[in-house]
Amino acid sequence: MALSIDKFKSTFREEAFELLGHLEDDLLELESQPKNGELINSAFRAIHTVKGSAAMFGYDAVSKFAHEMETALDLCRNGTLSITKDFIGLALKGRDQLRQLMEFEEGVPTEIAKESELLLRRFVEFSKRGQSPGAPSHADIQGAGPVDPGNSSPRNAEAKTYRITFKPSKGIFKNGTRVLNLVEELAALGRADVFPHMEDVPPLGALDPESCYAWWEVLLSGPIDENSIRDIFIFVEDQADLRVEQVKEEADGSSKRLGDILVDRGAVSPGALREALGSQKKLGEVLIEKNLVSTPQVESALVEQEHLKKGQERVEAAAGSIRVASDKLDALVDLVGELVTLQARLAQTSLDLRDVSLSSVSEQFERLISQLRDNTMSIRMLPIGSTFNKFRRVVRDLSLELGKEAELATEGADTELDKTVIERLGDPLVHIIRNSVDHGIEMPEVRDLAGKPKAGVIKLSARHSGAYVLIQVSDDGKGLDREAIRSKAIERGLILPSMEIADQELYQLIFEPGFSTAKKVTTVSGRGVGMDVVKREIDALGGSAQLSTVPGAGMTVTLKIPLTLAIIDGLLIRIGGEFFVVPLSAVDGCIEIRRDDLAALGEKRIISYRDELVPFVSLRGFYEFAAEGEGEPEIEQMVIVSAQDYRIGLVVDQVIGDYQTVIKPLGRMYRDVDGVSGATILGDGTVALVLDVNRLALVVQRESVR
Amino acid sequence: MQAGQSPKIVNLHGSLTVDRAAALMGEISEALKGGENVLLSISLVEDLDLACLQVFYAAKAEARAAGKELHFLGSVPMRISKRLVACGFLHGVSEHAEDFESALVGF
Repeated sequence: MALSIDKFKSTFREEAFELLGHLEDDLLELESQPKNGELINSAFRAIHTVKGSAAMFGYDAVSKFAHEMETALDLCRNGTLSITKDFIGLALKGRDQLRQLMEFEEGVPTEIAKESELLLRRFVEFSKRGQSPGAPSHADIQGAGPVDPGNSSPRNAEAKTYRITFKPSKGIFKNGTRVLNLVEELAALGRADVFPHMEDVPPLGALDPESCYAWWEVLLSGPIDENSIRDIFIFVEDQADLRVEQVKEEADGSSKRLGDILVDRGAVSPGALREALGSQKKLGEVLIEKNLVSTPQVESALVEQEHLKKGQERVEAAAGSIRVASDKLDALVDLVGELVTLQARLAQTSLDLRDVSLSSVSEQFERLISQLRDNTMSIRMLPIGSTFNKFRRVVRDLSLELGKEAELATEGADTELDKTVIERLGDPLVHIIRNSVDHGIEMPEVRDLAGKPKAGVIKLSARHSGAYVLIQVSDDGKGLDREAIRSKAIERGLILPSMEIADQELYQLIFEPGFSTAKKVTTVSGRGVGMDVVKREIDALGGSAQLSTVPGAGMTVTLKIPLTLAIIDGLLIRIGGEFFVVPLSAVDGCIEIRRDDLAALGEKRIISYRDELVPFVSLRGFYEFAAEGEGEPEIEQMVIVSAQDYRIGLVVDQVIGDYQTVIKPLGRMYRDVDGVSGATILGDGTVALVLDVNRLALVVQRESVR
Repeated sequence: MQAGQSPKIVNLHGSLTVDRAAALMGEISEALKGGENVLLSISLVEDLDLACLQVFYAAKAEARAAGKELHFLGSVPMRISKRLVACGFLHGVSEHAEDFESALVGF
């Protein structure tokens, strides 16, 4: 019995942490959209659910604290109190405190209990303020309203889709109406696809600059009632043509066809549609050719089709997903790893025995294992956007602390990578972003003088590139100071005063331990610890970090991270009697070169490959293997790999072929071996080392410069 | 922009709201009359409303009809970019004028 209660408690904690994550996102969004009722409702629901569940599972301190936060949020929700920057700051602190309190089912340490009391008092004081001057009226809060506590999950509310046509009158600007604000408010009510129509805007010669020509079609989905949509336009209802229609989705859940959407909208008659459908061409093209509809009408209908499709996918995803503890997933990946290793052994055995039927079974087994591996790895893939919101908080808090203005823009939040990689990326990204706010973004007055907007922008983006994900953090701050870095590098003995060094290499020195050009040490940075930690962690992930900068215009840090750390496709090679694996994603090609030609190069270890000079290293020499003696082949094999944004060649004794590699951590003995990142077990039970291509590239590059 | 032509740059700044739409229209018309291609520098624009956005669309149509080119120049202020995303004119935040212009719906 105790066991099952513990299981429920663990689920409660997981869900509470998730809800507190959503609460943080909502509060951060509310800071820029304080009148967005949907956000206030969502924040209220989150805190309400945490309060109820915490009381049920005996987390009394959490429940008590959440109760006061809920009271304050309720007053904001019903319009009695306004949402200010101060309130957001307080609510975010409250959210952090709740997270801390979640660690203690009972017996909260005195210090934390005291902090809670102080914060609680501030919430009580806030709630007591009642009707504060300038508090918004009920109509100001768009879409907010009482939430049925029994129906506190947004998922339980009935989602509807509306097609809204908003055609402002030509004279709408004359009374000072800001049309874009209305559209923004509308889009903030739920999941929106907004289609602007600008086709009525005439050329400049015929334009009346004070007349409105633009109009919109908006597809809006969510637990929204029609009145909250109409409320947005309440003050312009006599100066606009507003149509709000609820879109009926197909009863069988299938995607709605373009033709049906156009008929629904009254853009084309059913008869004309039937006639157009007889053509071999695409329906949209036929209707445009026949002048039955305009191009924007078709584009807008396609937006609606996509909107409905996405909505359907969301419903299906929600209905077809289950929550699984991450340790169970880890165990599954381990088992798949064992299977991959066993399969390699089976393949080896069938080869040794030269048994045709066993070979056939082994091949089928290999195909299945390969599919199982891909499926299992895809389960562990998470969108990186799940971590982006925590960085928004970092930027907000730090810029406030430093008296700066900065905001975070994100791109590619849907990019997926292995959950283990995502977890380990958190700290390095926090360091980079803190560094950008502290060292990159200038004070508002300095930015103003430099002709930049007062608020700086830090852009965090992610995208796939082969078997890697490229994550970029760029800012529009002052960029790196080349001379300051050079002086510091000389002072620290990293370079000689007489040494000429390329900018790119000089900037990389920022990743050296203890390297900081900050004139004073602050609580934020300046101790030269952050970027060193970044480099170490990214190296450990098998990735690389690159810096680029434009003085006065900003800096960009690019992280190249492998999609997964568990099982990879590798290229098996042999040096002497030992086997190594090169990650296949890094392999650019394999070439053969005569031993005599290599020897003729002497100390100059550079070859020409695809019109490019490529430095190379003999792994036999690098790992100090004994020479093979007279049996050495006349033709050497060279594997060309791409790493650190350039190519290097690795001279090996034999290229064996591709190999599914289950990466195992290195034992203590191998931890200090340069250029090795892990190990794997081969089919015959022997161990092969996995090469750290980035590390090798760095060593080779340095040696070739010398 | 075709080689050999020196474009006329119109530097835009501050809040481009309805009360400045007529002046903006005049300035761009003047630039287009000059027989040169026109670049609209938008890095220092702090706010943009529909009236001025319509002027940009109208100017593009005018330039196209006259066989001239009109493009945006500089970096797009985040605030403007975000607002245009929310109103459906862009599908994602664009930082550079070139990306911004090619992504602007119906431009």
